[in-house]
Amino acid sequence: MKAFLKKEWMEGLRTGRTGILLLLFALFGIMNPAIAKLTPWLIETMSESFASAGIVTTAVTVDAMFSWMQFYKNAPMALLLFLLLSSGSFTAEYQKGTLIPTVAKGLPRWKILAAKALALSALWTALYFLCYGITYGYNAYFWDNHIAAHLLFAAACYWMFGIWLLALLVLFSTLAKTSSQVLLGIGAAAIALYALSVFPKCSKILPLKLMDAMPLLQSLASPQDYYAPMALSGITALLCIALSIPCFNRKYL
Amino acid sequence: MEMLTFSHVEKHFGEKKVLQDASFSVPEHTIFGFIGKNGAGKTTAMKLILGLLACDSGEILVNGFPVRYGNTRTNRFIGYLPDVPEFYPYMTPTEYLHFCGEVAGMPAKECKARAKELLRLVGLEKERGRIKGFSRGMKQRLGIAQALFGRPKLLICDEPTSALDPAGRKELLDILAAAKEQSAVLFSTHILSDVEHICDKVAFLHEGRVALHGSLEKIRRLRKSTSMEIEMERPEDAKTLLAAFPYLQQKGRTHLQQEGTGMASGLSMQCGWQKGNAHLLLEDTARLPEILHFLAGQELPIQRMERKEPTLEDLFLEVIAK
Ligand SMILES: Nc1ncnc2c1ncn2[C@@H]1O[C@H](COP(=O)(O)OP(=O)(O)OP(=O)(O)O)[C@@H](O)[C@H]1O
Ligand SMILES: [Mg+2]
Repeated sequence: MKAFLKKEWMEGLRTGRTGILLLLFALFGIMNPAIAKLTPWLIETMSESFASAGIVTTAVTVDAMFSWMQFYKNAPMALLLFLLLSSGSFTAEYQKGTLIPTVAKGLPRWKILAAKALALSALWTALYFLCYGITYGYNAYFWDNHIAAHLLFAAACYWMFGIWLLALLVLFSTLAKTSSQVLLGIGAAAIALYALSVFPKCSKILPLKLMDAMPLLQSLASPQDYYAPMALSGITALLCIALSIPCFNRKYL
Repeated sequence: MEMLTFSHVEKHFGEKKVLQDASFSVPEHTIFGFIGKNGAGKTTAMKLILGLLACDSGEILVNGFPVRYGNTRTNRFIGYLPDVPEFYPYMTPTEYLHFCGEVAGMPAKECKARAKELLRLVGLEKERGRIKGFSRGMKQRLGIAQALFGRPKLLICDEPTSALDPAGRKELLDILAAAKEQSAVLFSTHILSDVEHICDKVAFLHEGRVALHGSLEKIRRLRKSTSMEIEMERPEDAKTLLAAFPYLQQKGRTHLQQEGTGMASGLSMQCGWQKGNAHLLLEDTARLPEILHFLAGQELPIQRMERKEPTLEDLFLEVIAK
């Protein structure tokens, strides 16, 4: 399994996938405070033309909260990019047949699955907290992070949502033949979730709630409200991985 | 002891029956040649042995353990060279072999030594580049190296020489012959002279069944009768001869020469027809003096007279014609 982890790491580096993701996540990290910093200036320069159009603008003050708002607005984009670039982790190997020599050497298949799942979640964790760290640093430098409550917990909620999606990705990868089928599966699962979250009772515990982190920062919600969706995500993620092992064992490579 | 037993295996893809009641076995320290025309099911049979496909019925044993579809423990004993091998393009051959060793749980030091040894064996020791730029033949060479890496008890090679140059083909046959010391070797090929050179046992796969199965000598003995081929200088003479000895056969279909490829034999057949077909075949060689006597009496010029040993090709053509 260590051998396969090493291979995954090398694959990420040498195909440039890790590099691209690193760049993107760093960019997102910088963008959040940058947008916050630029907004007042933008509004000021535009206020003249607004004034001539009859719109009165008041001077806006931005703070760390505004920057964190950008963070949670951009995070879905980052997550989507991450999923897009990772969706071929299994399927590319099925299509090229590169797993066949490895499996033919008697490496138990669950080790391949575990190595891939571990590599994906480690990469997501590293990239996500890099993005978080950059935003945090800039925010601390320009403003003050203390006006936002439960910063780390809120961030962990969103991270958990990413892990949950990754578990889905692994499961669909053991069922599907191509990466578009994997993405389709994840998309379908997301739509089903949105459909369910129409009911207030459900929306309180569904993993989607983890994306809604701003109320935490603004002290409009308490961490307790997030325990149920956290637990549900964790359990279903584990279930997905557990289910994917027998599927992968019988997968036609 | 039997390293591989393949008993009464059936496999179909939808309506199409690929294997029906196929049985054979490969003992230890044996090179087993697997022959059959395109689409006969050789690759399918190999994939069944590796658990990459599921049998519909029957049983496959590797080293005494049953093979299950999917994640099968029996693969520990096997080294496999796929028909079109694919490896991680971003690795160098040395890195790939290290990866193979680590997967098999080999200590790092031994890995390094073995990788070096095998790369030299397959003639890739000078390749520093990544696998990405490799030709098909180079990938096949690396494929041999990775199949041999863990010193498997059963080596399965699917058309190992299909992309190799003539020197590489000879080297590969030597490698397989040497591998016999530690493994049982199952390999499929379309080059029957290779089979005659190195195989101990042979199986012909035809229409989903093992049409012929046994040691090479036994199979050769099946067609003991040698025949005589007579080529006259002039086609008219061939006709005269044919009229005098009706048991002679006019050779419509030229048999493949032992070294001849399909192309070359096609060519010689064409020449035969152009010349008005002066080729005759005598199956019962006991009657040769009669004919020689006639030829001498009539002073008919002969172009060529040749004793024909039955080759595996003849046998192959005979099997698939059935
Ligand atoms: N995955 C598959 N799905 C459907 N049919 C298949 C599949 N794999 C193989 N077949 C069919 O099984 C038959 C046997 O194929 P196989 O590849 O085993 O032949 P082969 O003996 O290896 O031929 P060749 O000498 O060309 O390598 C073919 O008719 C092929 O069409
Ligand atoms: Mg084949």
